[in-house]
Amino acid sequence: MPGKMLSTQQADDDSANVFVAKLDNARNVSNILKAIHFKDTATVFVTSQGLKVTVEDAKCVQANAFIQAAVFHHFVLTQDQATFKVNLSVLIECLTIFGSGAGGSTAAASLKMCYAGYGSPLVLMLEEDGVLTDCSLKTLEPDEVLDFDFCSTNVINKIIMKSECLKEVFNELDTSSDILQILMSPDAPFLQLSTFGNAGSTHSSFSKESDMVEAFQCTQTQSNRYKMQLLRPSSKALALSARISIRTDARGFLSLQYMIRNDDGQVCFVEFFCAPDEEMEEPDH
Amino acid sequence: MKCVVPGVNLKVFGRAIHSLAKIGDEVYFEPLEQGLSLRTVNSSRSAYACFLFFPSYFQHYDDGSREDEAGRNSEEEEEGLRCKITVKSIMAVFRSLSTIEKTVEKCKISHNAREARLVFELHCRHGIVKTHNLAYIECETLQAIFSKDMCPNKLSAPSKLFCDVVVNFQTTQEEITLTVRPESLSLKNYVEDEPDPNKVVHTELNLAPEEFDLYQVGVDTDITFCLKELRAILAFGETTGLPININFESAGRPVTFCIDSDQTFEANFVLATLADVDQSSSQMPASQRSQQAASTSQHHAKHAANSKQHKAKDVSVKKESKRKESTKTDRHRDQELNRNQPQPSSSAANDVDNMADISAEEFAAAMEAEEDWETEEQTENNPQDRITDQQTLQGAETDDTTQKEGRVTETNTSPGETKRKEGRVTETDTNLQGGWLGKSLHEEREVEEEEGEEEEGRNRGGLKLNGAEGRSSSSPVIPVQCPSSGKSSLLLFADEDIWSKPKREGPCLQPLDDDDNDDLDETIPGTPPAKKFRSLFFGSSQKASQSTQPQQNNTVLAAETDEED
Repeated sequence: MPGKMLSTQQADDDSANVFVAKLDNARNVSNILKAIHFKDTATVFVTSQGLKVTVEDAKCVQANAFIQAAVFHHFVLTQDQATFKVNLSVLIECLTIFGSGAGGSTAAASLKMCYAGYGSPLVLMLEEDGVLTDCSLKTLEPDEVLDFDFCSTNVINKIIMKSECLKEVFNELDTSSDILQILMSPDAPFLQLSTFGNAGSTHSSFSKESDMVEAFQCTQTQSNRYKMQLLRPSSKALALSARISIRTDARGFLSLQYMIRNDDGQVCFVEFFCAPDEEMEEPDH
Repeated sequence: MKCVVPGVNLKVFGRAIHSLAKIGDEVYFEPLEQGLSLRTVNSSRSAYACFLFFPSYFQHYDDGSREDEAGRNSEEEEEGLRCKITVKSIMAVFRSLSTIEKTVEKCKISHNAREARLVFELHCRHGIVKTHNLAYIECETLQAIFSKDMCPNKLSAPSKLFCDVVVNFQTTQEEITLTVRPESLSLKNYVEDEPDPNKVVHTELNLAPEEFDLYQVGVDTDITFCLKELRAILAFGETTGLPININFESAGRPVTFCIDSDQTFEANFVLATLADVDQSSSQMPASQRSQQAASTSQHHAKHAANSKQHKAKDVSVKKESKRKESTKTDRHRDQELNRNQPQPSSSAANDVDNMADISAEEFAAAMEAEEDWETEEQTENNPQDRITDQQTLQGAETDDTTQKEGRVTETNTSPGETKRKEGRVTETDTNLQGGWLGKSLHEEREVEEEEGEEEEGRNRGGLKLNGAEGRSSSSPVIPVQCPSSGKSSLLLFADEDIWSKPKREGPCLQPLDDDDNDDLDETIPGTPPAKKFRSLFFGSSQKASQSTQPQQNNTVLAAETDEED
């Protein structure tokens, strides 16, 4: 209904909308969101810097996708910030309504997002090849997101490396293992990912001399265990990324940061936080 | 134990693991002095695979047999590690062959005795090292006993040929039948008893001997084995690009596939073959078939008329031989040979040569042995005929007795031929020939012998006639029209004598029929043996794969198709 669309559009541009963003290629957003799509709902934080979409699981793992304002060619926010919770599965489906565009050759869908403030739906408008799609997603009350309190000052070990070598390793990790052990050390074996499964134990070691490693800053030897099923979703982000940064802090919390380049060459970041698997010292069940 | 596989060889190593994984559930790992052996056997123990990687395959190979192995775990090392790893564990190491090919520079395999783990270290590019510590189970050496050299049939062809062949069969096809004749080879899908064979897809592929690097057919046979396992073998063979050598004997005996690269590794796969269910013994069918095959080939070669007679003999001979095992045949053969010099001269003999040198000779010998009274002249009767008869006989194998009889007679008529054909048979326990039959056969034999030669011109029928005539007087013989191979029935009768005679000792026909007689007697004492044979014949012929047994020509025969004594 073009007429209605036009009127809506004009209305959008009015102050009715707290947030309006437009970009030419919806895939730039949908791909990033797919990388953190391991839960149905996500919390969206809109700030002047851009969008931050957060997904959490079991209060132990948190994934954040950062889409900078620069990715959009039109980004207007009338408030300081807007926060809402939305169904991520539906959002991704709407964004990819014209097809996931794996081929990439066809024209990309252009996207316009509007949000009129607390209680209003998130409105998406997608257009591709003259076909217009209008989506209205109900927003939910945003929950408190975990704050892992992971600041740079607490970081003990940090390694930045290229993603390609890690991709294979991650894909071949023994699925029969419950946990993934990450050892980071200034001495050999520097970085080691270990699994303990039915077949036996498997260790993948990365030398710091390797040309895959871009930065290696490890101050002490640390070995932490994380539940495999919490880290599994990160492999999606790893697959899309070009570089990865692995950091652990004094508590053993893990921070994985992925640098993803989208179709237009713009850079977005996805971040995973994971709490370590603690050995139960006293069985106080 | 410690060995290092260089990156270039890892592809083959990984492929070997994959093919072992397709066959069995566990990989038996044993570092030997002559190399590293990886073996497996499938759950039903019908397929065995063994890869032996020689020390030259490795960058560094140490099977741990030396005592001065760093002093530690010397005891364990000395004993030699014999263990098995589950396929799942080892596939976790070698899962993605393409990745391994691209990224792994070398693979170090060592044994951590302290923790009882087999350690696979893959040193990859970019300084990455993947270490897999696999748990193993200690076990005894897995060893299959098979003999490649003793097999009369040997084929060798590039793996690609077989790959192209198996691609034509449905992926769900379980078993495949390989039929060899001196002039051609064919592969068919094996269809188990289907209620309606017409509703099932039958695939048959023929290859000419020229396509093979080596094509040696000693015994015409057809073997049925599992196609799935063959695919696993070919998957390995294809990547190496080496030729596959196939050695086999007959149905029921294992078939061996060997792929070896002289200095670096050797792969042997042994598959069990389906034993012919028609035969009373697993050995039988094969022999019988081969006999028939032999006879058939001779038949072709000769196109002689008396084939029938001869064939019958041959058939019987075959059958017997099958049962007896080739050893007997050999014995007889020797005897026979001595006795029947002329064999070679006879056309039949020549025919035999066409088929398979050795087998023919054997058969010939066997036949000779069987026939005491060699009828050298008879040999001319077209070995072909004999072949057909044999085949038919085979069909009827179920009734050894009857067959024997037939066979025996055959041999009489064409000693040389029969012998030749089967090669192995001859010995057969033609005890069948019940006394009565034997006698009659004897009589007939004589008659036949005379006529045998005349009969050459006639197909089977000739023999038949002779036999019939002769028999009619002595024993009822149902004239079996075996134009091509049908003769057998008559031949059977004829053969009986032969069988009874030679049995093992050879020349004299004795009532071999200890059991056979019983069988014969069971049917109906006094029943024309033909009848019995017929049923036998028919029953078995239906099953016989290649032989053109069905003597549909004989009206008589038709009557008792299903009867199998």
